[in-house]
Amino acid sequence: MLGLGVIILMRLFQLQILEYDRYSPQSRENALRQEIVNPARGLIYDRNGKLLVDNEPIYSLTITPATYDPEATPLLANILDIPVDTLQKRIEKAQTYSWQRPSRLLTEIDFETFSMVQENIWQLPGIGHQIESKRHYPVDSLQASHIFGYLREVSEEEYQQSNTYNLGDKVGKSGLEAIYNSQLWGENGIDYTLVNAMGQSLGSYNNGASDEAPVKGHNLHTTISADLQLLAEDLMEGKRGAVVAINPQTGGILSLVSAPQYSIRKLSGRIDNEYWQSINTDPGNPLFNRAISSRQPPGSTFKPLMALIGLEMDIITPQTEVYNPGYYYRGRRYGDHADVGNYRLRKAIQNSSNTYFFWVMDKIATSGRLNQWHDMTADFGLGSKTGIDLPYEVEGILPDSAYFNRVIGKNKWGIGDVLNLGIGQGYMAVSPLQMAVATAEIANNGYRIKPHIVHTIKKENGQVVRNTPSRKKIEWLEQADIDVVKEGMRQVVTDGSGRYYADLDSVAIAGKTGTAQNPHGEDHGWFIAFAPYDNPQIAIAVLMENSGFGSISAAPVASLLIEKYLTGEINRPYVYNYVKDFKPKKTTASNE
Amino acid sequence: MNRSGKLDWSLTVLWVSLVTVGLIAIYSATQGPVAEFLPSYIQINFYKQLVAFAIGICVFASIQFISPRAFKEGSYLFYGICLFLMILTLLIGREVNGAKSWLVLGPVNFQASELMKVATILATANYLTSQRNISAENLRHALITIVLLLVPTILVLLQNDTGTALIFLSLIPVILFWSGLPYGISLFIISPAVIGYLCIIGWYWGLLAAVILTLLIFFIQRRTWLTFTSFVCGILIVIGVQVALYQVLQPYQRGRIEAFTNPEFDPQGAGWNVIQAKTAIGSGGIFGKGFMEGTQTQLRFLPEQWTDFIFCVIAEEFGFLGASLVLLLFMGLLLRILKNAQNHQHPFAQIVMIGIAWIYFIHLFINIGSASGLLPVIGLPLPFISYGGSALLTNTLMLAICVNLDFHKRQLSIYR
Repeated sequence: MLGLGVIILMRLFQLQILEYDRYSPQSRENALRQEIVNPARGLIYDRNGKLLVDNEPIYSLTITPATYDPEATPLLANILDIPVDTLQKRIEKAQTYSWQRPSRLLTEIDFETFSMVQENIWQLPGIGHQIESKRHYPVDSLQASHIFGYLREVSEEEYQQSNTYNLGDKVGKSGLEAIYNSQLWGENGIDYTLVNAMGQSLGSYNNGASDEAPVKGHNLHTTISADLQLLAEDLMEGKRGAVVAINPQTGGILSLVSAPQYSIRKLSGRIDNEYWQSINTDPGNPLFNRAISSRQPPGSTFKPLMALIGLEMDIITPQTEVYNPGYYYRGRRYGDHADVGNYRLRKAIQNSSNTYFFWVMDKIATSGRLNQWHDMTADFGLGSKTGIDLPYEVEGILPDSAYFNRVIGKNKWGIGDVLNLGIGQGYMAVSPLQMAVATAEIANNGYRIKPHIVHTIKKENGQVVRNTPSRKKIEWLEQADIDVVKEGMRQVVTDGSGRYYADLDSVAIAGKTGTAQNPHGEDHGWFIAFAPYDNPQIAIAVLMENSGFGSISAAPVASLLIEKYLTGEINRPYVYNYVKDFKPKKTTASNE
Repeated sequence: MNRSGKLDWSLTVLWVSLVTVGLIAIYSATQGPVAEFLPSYIQINFYKQLVAFAIGICVFASIQFISPRAFKEGSYLFYGICLFLMILTLLIGREVNGAKSWLVLGPVNFQASELMKVATILATANYLTSQRNISAENLRHALITIVLLLVPTILVLLQNDTGTALIFLSLIPVILFWSGLPYGISLFIISPAVIGYLCIIGWYWGLLAAVILTLLIFFIQRRTWLTFTSFVCGILIVIGVQVALYQVLQPYQRGRIEAFTNPEFDPQGAGWNVIQAKTAIGSGGIFGKGFMEGTQTQLRFLPEQWTDFIFCVIAEEFGFLGASLVLLLFMGLLLRILKNAQNHQHPFAQIVMIGIAWIYFIHLFINIGSASGLLPVIGLPLPFISYGGSALLTNTLMLAICVNLDFHKRQLSIYR
């Protein structure tokens, strides 16, 4: 008997003293419910410190079935302005979830309804509320949906992998919200609530003294110009295409539009399923960010790069003359729309002579320097990701011999496939962002830039993280060559295809038009430009899908944006109206 | 009264202390912040226990005026009445928590099986001391003793009260041993319990125990047939437990046993009680969380915290010190009763005292063993401490008899 008594005493010693460290936290966990308090999401500003994205509260009603009085249902239905049956169903659903724990009855009710409920709360036992927040965009009519991106509830998978998020939390799924999600999120706070074995909440533990306050997310300061962005969105409304404007000195994105775009406000807060369905099935694919994900041949906008490569390879000099009889002949005729006559480099750029650049490409190919051409083009950022702080960027296609061997087959590809590259057609695909970056690199006299949208991340405690722009000289470029090409691009605007819509009195613009052949329908129009000519502050690439020549579709958009950015206003209402009224040609049914 | 000795005040003080500890624990378990989550018929348990204590004091006092001879002489009659009540319970009793052990007499509910414990001890003790040459070594005498103990066991089993049946069953080896059964045979009788318990943990442990016990019996008794039988029985028990575990037991019963061997297997279901009880005890630490401050108790994580799991309340709120103090009080009580038994000259009193001490002890051991995860959960109250009027009064009655037998020591010895 004594022996068994000692066994019990030893057992108590074991449980209460030796294993105290195991059971004490266990009992604490039992009785305390940790409620995660989500921090306020970080804000997003434009380049001038204008607030573009903040948070606004949304009110949700909760119900604790155990304390709820079913007789209050008609009153509640009346206040909420919903049928009693619907409300009854929601209450029953809450009951099946838990009798003691509050569950959401109705989310995102407007403030007026919320106030009404609060006024009558004494008649509504068991009804509580939760204040959450959703993204709010203070600049009216500014969308920038492909820059900011939208939030969505974490997926089951993300929830499993992360210890930050809980089910129901919303995280960035695209745009800056996705790329900078962890910085924007901040640090979770914890509220400790005393609970009993039935899961009933008994109020704050320790009067909140043990609670950990959440730390607000970091704020993002972007290089976006809100005014320019607004105009770009306005101009691209109703069209398909993309605009990317960039500061050629720093690589900061001034504006980025992909049209059509989705309504960023409709994807904030409670999900409007109908709208979500509609943008997912829209043939224009508004969720697709054309500015960084579209892959199109650059067309003639590639010619300035060809010129630089030809000069560097000593295939041409500015004085080299090439005769254009209306076509370039190499086994067969390759068409040229430019006037018949002799072309030197500047004029070849100005009038976009295909013959001239076919000839250059021919020389490159026949001297076995296709791969060198590839490498030099790649130095401008084509064929690889630029590293912009947006998700789903594409690399595009920049072929070399290995590429042709792989895609067409060894010894099966010939000069015809290569020649087309000389005028930016054929096996070549770029995104508007890549073209904007390449343009900026010509404009800044040959410095590699890394495009970015966020230049500074400011933490709540004032600490600052900067995205330092990297600038690296493209070594093989010679200033004299760049000057010649720039002069050619300037002439495009003064005397060439850009003279109708891009030749401003106030600002000297240099640019190049282009047309991307589209096997599925009407061609796409391109325009790349930078300005002012002698001290470039903005470089821009515009792609207008199914709009034919870039000179009449993309060039006016680019010129308006440059005018707005550099002079602050638009003095050519007729161009503005022209763009607003511009209708792309009907696409054929085969366009996917 | 000049024949009487001194009243055993130390037993009285220990008794009052234990009941007081019980009242404090029941108060915390039913009147503390937890009261909010308890139905009123459970909150009232504290006051019912207070009333039972008051009645207990009267019982305790009035028993002292009875001549010890009355216990011996009236034992068979008492035994008979109790058997009648037991059968009555079986016929018209009320079922609570699956056990049909409650007899409703007007406003009072009581458990005849509680009173049966007293009657059985008295009757068995009387039988074993009725003639000079009665000894458990005599097979016939031993069998009659066993029958006296088995009849109530079966009735309790029929009432579906396994815990109490175990108590009666456990009296058999204790009483037989005390009345002269040889060590080896006593060991043989208790060996099934030891082997069975170990089998639940793991069949190899049971087998090991069977072998060791057989060897012990051989060395103590040196009887071939006993050793052989013991060995065969041991093996049969090991096999039997395995069969019972996987073939005979209902799923819920197996769940309880699994909850004992591996509570984490089903923490929300069968393992819940064990986990919460161990957590309550363990989280008490050395000094406890304080009176009415235990979160396991006050937030209703403990099951049946006013009866079967009351020890967890004490351990949680008063820590290792409080729990040890309770154990110490019990040990003091038991040792005092055993010492009185030793000092007593009459075997009737000795057997009664030892039987009673054993009943206290086995309750204590099973109750705390269950709560601390040493044993599977067997619903037995902690004597004097758990809520329960019938139990408190019966335990008080038994203690009063012990005190009485000691108090009137000389009357009994002269009678002989």
